Amino acid sequence: MQDVLLSLIRLDLLLESIAGFIALAVSHYANKAFRLTGQKKLSDLATGFLVLSAAMFGHVIGTWYFFVLKGGDIGSLEGSTVFSVVTIAYGTMKIMAYILFALSTRPIGGGHSPALGLFMALPILIDPRLDVVAIIILVVVVLQSAMNYLAIRSHYALYVLVGFCLLLLSHMSAAYAERGYILSQVFQFLGFIALLVMLVRAGREV
Amino acid sequence: MKSKKAYRSKMRILADMMRAIQDEGENGAGPTKILYIANLSHDRLTQYLDELVQKELIKPTDDNENNRTYSLTEKGYEFLREFARVERFSEAFGIEI
Repeated sequence: MQDVLLSLIRLDLLLESIAGFIALAVSHYANKAFRLTGQKKLSDLATGFLVLSAAMFGHVIGTWYFFVLKGGDIGSLEGSTVFSVVTIAYGTMKIMAYILFALSTRPIGGGHSPALGLFMALPILIDPRLDVVAIIILVVVVLQSAMNYLAIRSHYALYVLVGFCLLLLSHMSAAYAERGYILSQVFQFLGFIALLVMLVRAGREV
Repeated sequence: MKSKKAYRSKMRILADMMRAIQDEGENGAGPTKILYIANLSHDRLTQYLDELVQKELIKPTDDNENNRTYSLTEKGYEFLREFARVERFSEAFGIEI
């Protein structure tokens, strides 16, 4: 049983490391676009992906340390303060990144919407669990991406919509599904693959 | 309902001007054509043309001001290619540039 768990964790580390590198690449490209255009939303997007990438690498290093170096003794992890801190930091950083995505992908002309700010605060009032908070914020991001896709109908916007939908599924499976752990990692990985395809295709010359 | 006009950044204006020049091919485009396509005032046009020349993104083809046209430099072509990539990336996330 423990071997199966360890092999799943290794797969988790691999998928999350690749996703982390893709997030880093998107962040780098958004930052490059910001430097060229001066559009602040691109800077927010770059920061969001950078925070997400840092969260994923932190999680990979933390998991690797606890499960591989410490021999995968799950019992000793239950009460481990350091492990709890790593897990909470991972979830919190992801939420910070999603808030930045929600702000940077909001439609133009809306300006600073107080309703959006209120909506962002809502999840904490409804349910303080990090995955639920992430789900509610990602619903906003997905809706905004869907609106963008419906408005412009471009392949690139579709890849982003698919990517964010898969990230949403990833959190939903982590929160509600049985065997949600590995399923959430697979969805997250696929979401980042969609973003990578967008990045490669957008970077290719027409 | 109040309709809001999309904000056109300076970089977008410069790219529009350069695309107007690119569309005219090797002969280049005159100021009137650029002004018309990029939808600019004369003062703004002069200011931005000077800036583009200074940054070596375009070059004037004639010293005589009356016959002057502008064409893209190699750096200008590269800038437009990069701008198109950034445009596609930003568009994917619904960010106007």
